[in-house]
Amino acid sequence: MTGTPNNSGKTVLVCCGTGCLANNSMEIYKELKKRVEALGPGFAVRPVLKTTGCNGLCEKGPIVNILPDDIFYCRVRVSDVDEIFEKTILRGEVIERLLYLDTSTGRRVRSHKESEFYRRQLKIALRNIGQIDPASIDDYIERGGYNALKKALFEMSPELVISEIERSGLRGRGGAGFPTGYKWRQCKRVNSFPKYVVCNGDEGDPGAFMDRSIMEGDPHSVIEGMIIGAYAVGSKKGFIYIRDEYSLAVRNVSKAIEDAYSRGFLGRGIMGSGFNFDVEVVRGGGAFVCGESTALMASIEGRVGEPRVKYIRSTEKGLWGQPTVLNNVETWANVPVIIDRGADWFAAIGTDRSKGTKVFSLVGKVKNTGLIEVPMGITLREIIFDIGGGITGNGKFKAVQTGGPSGGCIPEALLDLPVDFDSLDRAGSMMGSGGMIVMDETTCMVEVARYYLKFLSEESCGKCTPCREGIRRMLEILEDICAGRGQEGDLELLLELSETVKEASLCGLGKTAPNPVLTTIKYFESEYLAHIRDKRCPAGVCRKLTSYRINTDLCRGCGLCAKKCPAGAISGKPGAPHIIDVSSCIVCGTCREVCRFNAVEVIGGRSE
Amino acid sequence: MRVIIDGKECEAGYGEYILDVARRNGIHIPTLCHSGALPGQGSCRLCIVEVAEAGKKKVVVSCLYPITGEIEVTTNSERIYRMRRNIVRLLAARAPSGEFIKKLREEYGIPEETRFKVDEKEKCILCGLCVRACEEIGLSAISTVNRGTTKKVAPPFEEPPEDCIGCASCAYVCPTGAIEVQEFEGKRVIWNRAFELLKCAGCGRYFITRQQYEYIKNKHGIDMKEPLCDRCRQKSTAEKLIHLL
Amino acid sequence: MIQEKRGEDLSQVKSILDRYPRERRFLLAILQDIQKTYNYLPREALNEVRDYLGIPLSSLYSMATFYKALSLKPKGTYVIKVCDGTACHIRGSMDLIDEIRKLLSVSPGEVTKDGRFSLETVNCVGSCALAPVMVINDKYYGNLKPAMVKEILAGYGGIRGDWDTK
Ligand SMILES: Cc1cc2nc3c(=O)[nH]c(=O)nc-3n(C[C@H](O)[C@H](O)[C@H](O)COP(=O)(O)O)c2cc1C
Ligand code: SF4
Ligand code: SF4
Ligand code: SF4
Ligand code: FES
Ligand code: FES
Repeated sequence: MTGTPNNSGKTVLVCCGTGCLANNSMEIYKELKKRVEALGPGFAVRPVLKTTGCNGLCEKGPIVNILPDDIFYCRVRVSDVDEIFEKTILRGEVIERLLYLDTSTGRRVRSHKESEFYRRQLKIALRNIGQIDPASIDDYIERGGYNALKKALFEMSPELVISEIERSGLRGRGGAGFPTGYKWRQCKRVNSFPKYVVCNGDEGDPGAFMDRSIMEGDPHSVIEGMIIGAYAVGSKKGFIYIRDEYSLAVRNVSKAIEDAYSRGFLGRGIMGSGFNFDVEVVRGGGAFVCGESTALMASIEGRVGEPRVKYIRSTEKGLWGQPTVLNNVETWANVPVIIDRGADWFAAIGTDRSKGTKVFSLVGKVKNTGLIEVPMGITLREIIFDIGGGITGNGKFKAVQTGGPSGGCIPEALLDLPVDFDSLDRAGSMMGSGGMIVMDETTCMVEVARYYLKFLSEESCGKCTPCREGIRRMLEILEDICAGRGQEGDLELLLELSETVKEASLCGLGKTAPNPVLTTIKYFESEYLAHIRDKRCPAGVCRKLTSYRINTDLCRGCGLCAKKCPAGAISGKPGAPHIIDVSSCIVCGTCREVCRFNAVEVIGGRSE
Repeated sequence: MRVIIDGKECEAGYGEYILDVARRNGIHIPTLCHSGALPGQGSCRLCIVEVAEAGKKKVVVSCLYPITGEIEVTTNSERIYRMRRNIVRLLAARAPSGEFIKKLREEYGIPEETRFKVDEKEKCILCGLCVRACEEIGLSAISTVNRGTTKKVAPPFEEPPEDCIGCASCAYVCPTGAIEVQEFEGKRVIWNRAFELLKCAGCGRYFITRQQYEYIKNKHGIDMKEPLCDRCRQKSTAEKLIHLL
Repeated sequence: MIQEKRGEDLSQVKSILDRYPRERRFLLAILQDIQKTYNYLPREALNEVRDYLGIPLSSLYSMATFYKALSLKPKGTYVIKVCDGTACHIRGSMDLIDEIRKLLSVSPGEVTKDGRFSLETVNCVGSCALAPVMVINDKYYGNLKPAMVKEILAGYGGIRGDWDTK
């Protein structure tokens, strides 16, 4: 090599979110680091190497992004490191095969920002993620971090902060969409001290990882939001409650807190003002119900996470009976931006009653899975088909589940529904914290309802009768239906029990538990009836109600299914139609999945 | 402060619970987990009522809903009755064998359960009164265990509880008789632990476990040189008084 | 019945307790630290915690049976967590569980006889984009098919039994 290579000012970002880590991205980082460190003294400006939080494209990971050219590589392997280093980092050349493949155009794009997946998005809560090293407070500050705090402390009264948040129209991102500014105001009004602010990072929805990505990838945004909130309501102490399984989030948030202390953003006399605030991390114990506000507070107090009757709001009597503001991770992460850029700017995004953006984890049977942030009011169709690129394989869309165990399944007919708090509510689902699971025709809606009730039967705290006993019995009915023991009258009984569980349960878990059942009955009743009356699972999921048959007209005799069948139940001569031996078939569905000619059909259950 | 309960105008103090006001006015609302002597939990949900406030209707538990404004309460609308009946059905399906539950079932005209699998031996309806009673005494020898549909009441490790003094208060508050107490030959067995019973120094009746006697003496510093049952103690106090007069 | 090893070395419990003030609010954190150190909550350790914080044993037992992160039985050396979150569920996590059950003769919630593996199902490990996912100790395996399980488990070696010859 001669002369000075064109490497000046390059920053190499290696995604080290949980998804990419699972695909060995740490190894890639280490290998790159070795090469950077081995560079001779002839390099005036060494490339800067950073690890970042989740880019939201886990499925395409590990991801390496090279700035300032914004060359975005996907599915990078350790064996690609040499080439990336030599060609792209040192010489600025693009390696075509590693570029992001835009499924909607079929073309590779240099920066993922040119892709359909990215262009429809608007990043507010995720503004920094993937761009900064979560362990570096300087990275955060460089991108405008802690400006909002300074502004709040020195240019705004607590009252003004609250009215700014009120005017922005920000509503809680943890599920129910409670107006954040109003909550703060309620707390501020109460004249009782100490007051607490709490960040809900329990994220129990079994299909969602938005909050995790924020805590892992941009922990300072949450901390800054909390300090501002504490200043507004007059609190000196905060807690961040993080789900037990999220060890990386615990680590990154703890490190961020430490750094914030050392720079004077936390502790006594923050940034030279007269305001004091401390914050600590509390690890969750592994209980979905602890996401519920009163259960979460019980858990912080060192008790079993049982909710309590809350006819008196937490803003009045919360943690240890003191006024408490509890907000979700994403809610807190929005706060600094609103203060920084102003309520008007924020309120201009979204719909009439739902302002700003929402982060979703778009997963399931959709081509582009990952974390997305979209303006409120975008339609489900745009999310699933434009951003998500449509259904995987050659499947057909069936339903999208939002709101997790508290939400519901939305059918194709409602795909043009704008996504905001109120319209999802009206459809019988809810925004929830942002899980969005796409289901296709191989998903059985009865089984999905059963799945959620099973989840809830284990995750209910068990304190109150309607929830504990009602869910148990509804689950019993659904298990019967899935096993071919459904009876006439079961649907009516499910509906009646649903009413009691919904209305009479103590906390939000029970009050929303019937939603997955109610929406699937409402939109997919025929599927229930097929199970109950015809003893048939149309999706081919409930094993007792399914058997497979090879359509002899479609089968080309390629033998792939026979090779893959784990039970050895398929036989046939090459080129001739194959046959499934029903008695040894274990109904795993492998044949159906592998057949390239759609020759494997689902038929009713085996007669017992 | 005035509220209307089932059409009847009632006087209520600020923050008073609906249940208390209703009872004072002779309006019956069924309860299970409520006890005047113990802090409320609002867990059985049998006492649900409908509250209309500022044009909005909501379902609340009357035992813990504080009255803070002008509200109208309906304790037995068709909807409430239907849900209450379902709650009783659910409780009966869980714990069919207690007398208490049988009575409630009859009251609500609920037929023998045929749709669900029931455990004929189960009696506990998980109202939590026993746990709270024991906590109130200051012992917390028992607690709820597990969560969700597998929740139950048990001593630690489901072994005879170390902290138990055999006072049987838990069994006494239990509405369904789910906690077994056996007494024979100067012994009381509860939670699978045997306690020695002491005789009353007055009438000679077995009435207290040794541990309970010690506990009362030490913890509350009550002057009881020898074990005296309530009746004899009253008698002796009365005698002392008479003596003084 | 709760089975457990007796005579655990409790010195580490004391050093865990030393890190926390005697306040109830640290109970969960203390229990989690003990769980992490011993792979379960030894009974003698609970007694220590009771004495340290002055909390009745029944409350500790209640906590230990309520929170999923805590267990009263020793877990395996390798804890296999199969994600059964919604995304993983609809992409076939149950088939993975069936496969593991077959290979190791162990059901969710159990430990293999040799004490090497425990099998657990968990609700979403936050890697839905890689569904279905399995985590062994802290290592993630994504986009799994049942057929891949055998090889992964073999990587943890020493599984006794006849599953290899089958
Ligand atoms: C069963 C249940 C689970 C919940 N789980 C969560 C959760 O994981 N994360 C969260 O932020 N909110 C969760 N919530 C909502 C919280 O109770 C609370 O409304 C929210 O954290 C308030 O913050 P927000 O106003 O910023 O949304 C849950 C609620 C219920 C009833
Ligand atoms: S509704 Fe369910 S989770 Fe909530 S308090 Fe009742 S039993 Fe517990
Ligand atoms: S008998 Fe034992 S468990 Fe029951 S209340 Fe008395 S001390 Fe508590
Ligand atoms: S044992 Fe009796 S008092 Fe205790 S929870 Fe069960 S029913 Fe209630
Ligand atoms: S008596 Fe009110 S909830 Fe039980
Ligand atoms: S559902 Fe398995 S990782 Fe989210």
